Amino acid sequence: MYSDLLHALPQVLGLTNFLAVTIGVIAGIVVGALPGLSATMAISVLVPFTFGLDPLVALGLMAGIYNGAMYGGAIPAVLLRIPGTPAAVATTFDGYPMAQQGQGGYALQVAVVSSSIGGIASAFALMLLAPPLSKVTLLFGPAEVFWIAVFGLCSIIFLLGGNVVKGLISACFGVFVSVIGSDPIFGNDRYTFGYLELLDGINIVILLVGLYALPPVIDLLEAPLKTENAASDNLGTEPIWRTLPRMMRFWKTWIRGSLIGIWIGILPGAGGSMAAFMSYNEARRASKTPDTWGKGEAEGVAASEVANNADTASALIPALTLGIPGTAVAAVMLGGLLIHGLQPGPMLFRDNPDVVFGFMWQFLFGAILLLFLGGSLATNSFAKLLKLPRPLLGSIIIVLMLIGVYSIHGRMFDVYLMLGFGAVGYLMDKLKFPLPPVVLGLILGAFAEENLRLALRIGRGDRSGLLANHTSQVLVAMTLAVVFGPGLKRRFWGNRNSGAQG
Amino acid sequence: MKTSIWALALATLAATPALAEYPEKPIEIIVGYSAGGGTDVMARTVGKFLEEALGGASVVVKNEPGAGGQIGFTHVAAAKPDGYTLGTFNMPAALALTYDRAADYDAKSFTYLANFVEDPNTIVVSKSSGYDTLEALIEDSRANPGAVTMGLSSLGGNDHFAALMMAKSANSEFTLVPFKGAALARTAMIGGHVAAGTMALSQTVGFEDQLKVLAVLSDERSPFAPDVPTAKERGFDVEMSSLRGVVAPVGLEPAVADKLLSALAAVNANPEFQKMMAEQGNPMNYIAGADFAAIAETQSEVARTIWETTPWK
Repeated sequence: MYSDLLHALPQVLGLTNFLAVTIGVIAGIVVGALPGLSATMAISVLVPFTFGLDPLVALGLMAGIYNGAMYGGAIPAVLLRIPGTPAAVATTFDGYPMAQQGQGGYALQVAVVSSSIGGIASAFALMLLAPPLSKVTLLFGPAEVFWIAVFGLCSIIFLLGGNVVKGLISACFGVFVSVIGSDPIFGNDRYTFGYLELLDGINIVILLVGLYALPPVIDLLEAPLKTENAASDNLGTEPIWRTLPRMMRFWKTWIRGSLIGIWIGILPGAGGSMAAFMSYNEARRASKTPDTWGKGEAEGVAASEVANNADTASALIPALTLGIPGTAVAAVMLGGLLIHGLQPGPMLFRDNPDVVFGFMWQFLFGAILLLFLGGSLATNSFAKLLKLPRPLLGSIIIVLMLIGVYSIHGRMFDVYLMLGFGAVGYLMDKLKFPLPPVVLGLILGAFAEENLRLALRIGRGDRSGLLANHTSQVLVAMTLAVVFGPGLKRRFWGNRNSGAQG
Repeated sequence: MKTSIWALALATLAATPALAEYPEKPIEIIVGYSAGGGTDVMARTVGKFLEEALGGASVVVKNEPGAGGQIGFTHVAAAKPDGYTLGTFNMPAALALTYDRAADYDAKSFTYLANFVEDPNTIVVSKSSGYDTLEALIEDSRANPGAVTMGLSSLGGNDHFAALMMAKSANSEFTLVPFKGAALARTAMIGGHVAAGTMALSQTVGFEDQLKVLAVLSDERSPFAPDVPTAKERGFDVEMSSLRGVVAPVGLEPAVADKLLSALAAVNANPEFQKMMAEQGNPMNYIAGADFAAIAETQSEVARTIWETTPWK
């Protein structure tokens, strides 16, 4: 197998194939950076055009876009507190405060270096470990996946923010939104009010754009002539070779985030946002100064960005070996493969090694190129956005949001829906309800419900089936540790302290 | 005599423009699913060759995903029958939707042009399941009704119907576990989370090392898997498959219909097209015009019967 890997290399280094990856990365960064446009959309637009292209050129474009977009989403997340993609929500936590403190340039550099590292780690996992890792995927049936969702919800409970009640209300709102549409087992309509457009549920991008992008834009427009404090206008960009040594202290976060991203990637359905949230949370927990997190801690940006890129190539492991697209992007990419007669499955590696391994190399090169293209080029040009007059910037973003949301399914219904969510988001923002629990509730709520119901069906209603095997038991133990661990630790730690005092 | 010739000539003259001019603007093929799915890829492949067959016309594939394809099917049914709006048609799913939900179309809302793909359903288990024959699986499901879990893609489609028909014919009972798509069902089966599954034959291709196909639910053995017996051979008279073709709204102008039918026949006859479809893993079964319409009628009847005897919601 590894000789096939080397065999595929020369082709990938050909001019057109390499150019395809480069163009893909640039396009991906741009698409990711524009709120409302996502990698899924860019690749679906691309799919029809790939008919006439050589397979590796087509796949190179896709690999580039996927990698580029995962970083691109960080740019507006840092500069405007608007996550460009769902996976960049966790990047806003520390990225935006950094920008306000005049460290926006550094935040973007951390983001691009971390993204690149995550992407490289993920590409290596795909190249070297795809067949064994696909066996791990097989261990996770509906019951196990349900526990993953529960674990995700519990471990990220910190997202509830300062006010737990408000946080829980936000999370419940997210879960409620996840319920809209036809139910995952029988297909009964829930809260669709007869609208066919609602039957498939609410696309995460619609919710995200409404909730996250509209309120900041309204803020921009509310006080167009407000004198900004000088710091946030100044990006404070230093040459990357000078900032790079400062980032070296993130190495633990990078390793941890890469592993989390790869792990989440091979479990179909969770996606980059969960990877970023979990990596952020774990890094914060391991930090010696957890209090600085959320207030402009560069390591937070690193944690989030390394994980959402580490999810990219690894999400293709179940997609290529088992034909299960873990994410919406992977699903579209499978279509791109199908057009070229490449059918996913264990045989794919045997029958079409040159294309498959070439595709993997392209992922690696895409991740490396990200460092160069995203580093100076994109960061500097996008950073200039902040210099635009506020009303102009706000209007541009609104137009992009409308176009982006419209183009998901090509219908106005989604645009109205987005504006509705925008109104909700604006109110939540003013009333200080945290937004991340909504996103998480939507993603994990649906994930948990579907798998719980499948698991119960498999067990024919017998709940003990949920805990029947070791994978489930380990996951439950981990969940309990996450929920009660901090409390117990504090208690024993507290006891010992008071003991010492006594 | 003379007048009748004139009349004929006039009639031809009057008729030819419509025929000669079609197509004078781009033809849209509406796909009720997202870009990149199996149906979308078929539509794009057909579209590409249809452009040639219509002498350089422009064929545009438009995705209108949503509600399990219903948004797209509804759009096609309601479109003007002028030959500029065509659509992909998936059976039995498109027709099942007309029973389990309020729909603005039924089997009579379309002009059936050509079916290209017919993918027979299978009864399949994982190699490690211990089942070697269809009989062994059926025996277990009879001995302990409901104990055999059967993974499939969502309810109300060919997989679901195949499982119900199999159970009925074998006088046994399975616990149906509807996943989001056949690939997830297949993975759960390989991972041992469900005992068996039913899915289209093409979904099992490439997984020969992991899966054992016990039976194909078609009239004859499939050229894709000549060693696998049909359920009929084993004494269970069950046939179910997933069909994918191209339709137009009902009332399509006959001249346009003829032109489209001959163009689609030319597409099907093109060896390049056949090669491309085979590479994408599509078992072909070209059925055109009235024969296609007759199948739609039968399929609609099958879906109705199943819905009436075993409603799934």
